[in-house]
Amino acid sequence: MALLLDIATTAALLFIVAAGLFVIFGVLKIINFAHAAWLTIGAYTTVLATGMGLDPWLSLPLALLVGGLLGALTEVAIVRPLYRRPLDAILATWGLGVVIVQLITLGFGRDMQMPPALMGGTVNMLGTPYSSYRLFLLAAAVVLGVVFVLVLERTRLGLNAQAVIMNETLARALGMNTGRVRMITFMLGSAIAAVAGVLLTPLSSVDPSMGISWLIGAFMLVMVSGTSVAALALACLCFGAAQVLVSTWVSPILGSVTVAVLCAVMLRLHPKGFARD
Amino acid sequence: MTDQAQSTPAPQQLLTRHGTGLIALGVLGLVLVLLGPLFLDRFTLNVLTRSMIYAMMAITVDLLWGYAGILTFGQSAFFGAGAYATALILTHVGGGAQNFALALVLSLVLPMGLAALVGWLSFYHKSTPLYASVISLVVPIVLTQAIFAGGSFTGSSSGLVGYPTMKLGAANYFRLAGVALILFAALSWVIVRSDAGRLLVAIRDNPLRAAYLGIRTQRVQILLMTALGGVAGIAGFLYANAGRIVAPEIAGFGFGTQMIVWTALGGRGTILGPAMGAIGIDYLGAQLSGAMPYLWQLIIGILFVVMILFMPRGLAGFIPRRRGGAPVPQLGALPDHMQQRDSAPLLSVSGMRKSYGDFVVLDGIDLEVRPGELVSVVGPNGAGKTTFLRCLSDGTETIEGRVLLSGQDIAGRPPEAVVALGVGRKFQVASVFETMTVAECLRLARVTQERPSLWRRAARITLPRAVLDILSLTGLDGKLSEPVSGLSHGMRQSLELAMVVAMQPRLILLDEPTAGLTKAERTLIGEVLIRLTRDLGYAAVLIEHDLDFVRQISKRIVVLHQGRLVMDGPVDAVVNSDLVRSIYSGVAHD
Repeated sequence: MALLLDIATTAALLFIVAAGLFVIFGVLKIINFAHAAWLTIGAYTTVLATGMGLDPWLSLPLALLVGGLLGALTEVAIVRPLYRRPLDAILATWGLGVVIVQLITLGFGRDMQMPPALMGGTVNMLGTPYSSYRLFLLAAAVVLGVVFVLVLERTRLGLNAQAVIMNETLARALGMNTGRVRMITFMLGSAIAAVAGVLLTPLSSVDPSMGISWLIGAFMLVMVSGTSVAALALACLCFGAAQVLVSTWVSPILGSVTVAVLCAVMLRLHPKGFARD
Repeated sequence: MTDQAQSTPAPQQLLTRHGTGLIALGVLGLVLVLLGPLFLDRFTLNVLTRSMIYAMMAITVDLLWGYAGILTFGQSAFFGAGAYATALILTHVGGGAQNFALALVLSLVLPMGLAALVGWLSFYHKSTPLYASVISLVVPIVLTQAIFAGGSFTGSSSGLVGYPTMKLGAANYFRLAGVALILFAALSWVIVRSDAGRLLVAIRDNPLRAAYLGIRTQRVQILLMTALGGVAGIAGFLYANAGRIVAPEIAGFGFGTQMIVWTALGGRGTILGPAMGAIGIDYLGAQLSGAMPYLWQLIIGILFVVMILFMPRGLAGFIPRRRGGAPVPQLGALPDHMQQRDSAPLLSVSGMRKSYGDFVVLDGIDLEVRPGELVSVVGPNGAGKTTFLRCLSDGTETIEGRVLLSGQDIAGRPPEAVVALGVGRKFQVASVFETMTVAECLRLARVTQERPSLWRRAARITLPRAVLDILSLTGLDGKLSEPVSGLSHGMRQSLELAMVVAMQPRLILLDEPTAGLTKAERTLIGEVLIRLTRDLGYAAVLIEHDLDFVRQISKRIVVLHQGRLVMDGPVDAVVNSDLVRSIYSGVAHD
């Protein structure tokens, strides 16, 4: 039972962490290397907010705001000029990530921070006591997934985003402001990543380089999922399960690269990944 | 027999003026690294030794990224593999000459094997550059975790230290690293300027055209990655010996990205730039990072972003690029190659059906083409003509039915393998190499027939006489050293046709070769096609809209309509048929 719950909540965590990257990759077709930095910024928002005596939960909206603002700035200053040089855009976002991590290091030092947890305690799940926070993450991931689908299917922004995903040139030719769609998407993706950073604080160590360890897994999950939310959820579940099993039965160190390796092999053998064409 | 046999061409002068300058620079560099230890203090000596090893790594990244277009974060993995192979042997087996030899061999062979595996993972038919980059991220991370998981065998997170190393002394390690760097830089410099080096750039700029020239692009990329993996391994061997310590970080993703920073700041696509970038940044970093560790990283990060945004050519961008150093190559003629005119069909299509989900593009196509035939495919837009050509030239397209070329089924063969069966394809929009000259494009069209040299540019390009005719008729022969990007639309179409014919295929597929051409250019291409098919026995399948043009040049026309082959016959019968009239006037729908 505990193992099943571990799998479900690990998948939820992977989903939450990958979500911001997924949004940006789907619409802009670039891998946002600054993703790790957004996660870190989110986590340090918690450090800062709780340091000022605010309730830890308040750091969620704060991170949303900070992430969104920084995302918008980044899109305008760095991503937009490199629209026609996608590999360079990847590099520039990575450079930005380095800059942000160094700034955080200068401000807070290299040491690990210990912000108060959002939620403590355990819940009794069919006779097994289980961390209530991890269960909360599961619920959060489900909500996030449902919101994604609703936004994509039911709102104007979602429809515009779908148009850009399918055929950006045509969308622009039809008079759609694709530049705005790209900017809003990047902003949203960054904001979601920052919130994910807040949600990570009780589970992960909070230090300037914390984002990197989550980055690769998130990349690979997005690569195998293409532009489908369902595929991302499925990928998180499958590879999350693999990660938990390898960590439990083989070695936690190898468990940490399970997701990346399995995704890489899957892409080689079946390039479409979980996405249907 | 080719003309080449009668007049052996003099190899192109290797030492252009530019070249002489660089050789002087190389000699100066050698003098500096050999005499350097006399003037430098020990700390500087050690730092610079490391910097020069790093500079070798920067050159490998540059060859992959700057020249071949493969953005890699994973060169550190091969470096780490070499360094760890060395340290592990020396730690667990011990010092002694034979063990150093063993370590050297292993630090070459293991990274090469790993690189070949990574290459196989990264490059396959229809793989994307982004995918290769992502794989290159995974490799160092996996390797680092493996080192962590190795416990006391690999030293885990603290690495290996205190193993016996070659007793050369700091001064000689400095000299060794310097000489290795200069030799590798010189070798790279020669190779990127050779015909083989241009091949790398061609694959970077237009992989599709390269594949349709019969170049096995993925194999070239895997070979390059394997070779450079070996170089990285040797650099790792030097590092493990000179530094006397190996730590997991040297195999990691952070170090891999560091190399990209050196390359980007120094100037990708040059050899000297990345080497200087690595030495400069590493040396300055060693001097400054003690005083301000985080600030130094911050400055480098900001500089990197600014460079990528505004100066993609890096610091080398400040040096004006010299153009037109290479003299115009001469053209030589291969005698016309008469194709065999047996009556067996060269191309035989039976029951071809192609669909995307429920949408059927082609259905029930049967067609046979014999040597010497010029078959025109006509039909309205959306009839499936271009899809048809693609299915004839790319066996990885999923179709029902069979396509046989000279009796061989093309199913499952990627374009380069279909080209090897004797097919040349000309695209609707001229697909040539934009950054190259006309002569370089023509040279590349011959690489499958004549192996490109690794160390020089051929001074002479031998081409089939039919190609020379195209060149002289269009005036391209006077523009051999001009870049393709400056050619007119008609010239590009002619150049692509010349490239396709230069491969000496048995079957030429042409997708609207006359679209957008002037009347004169059109007549000219028509004459060339007639000569190729009627006189020389090539077979050709031509997609064309212009019925007048078709009437002039071909004897046989097939009509594609709504994915079906509705007519196949002599020109007049087809052109004057009610069906063709009604299709083109848009009446008939059955």
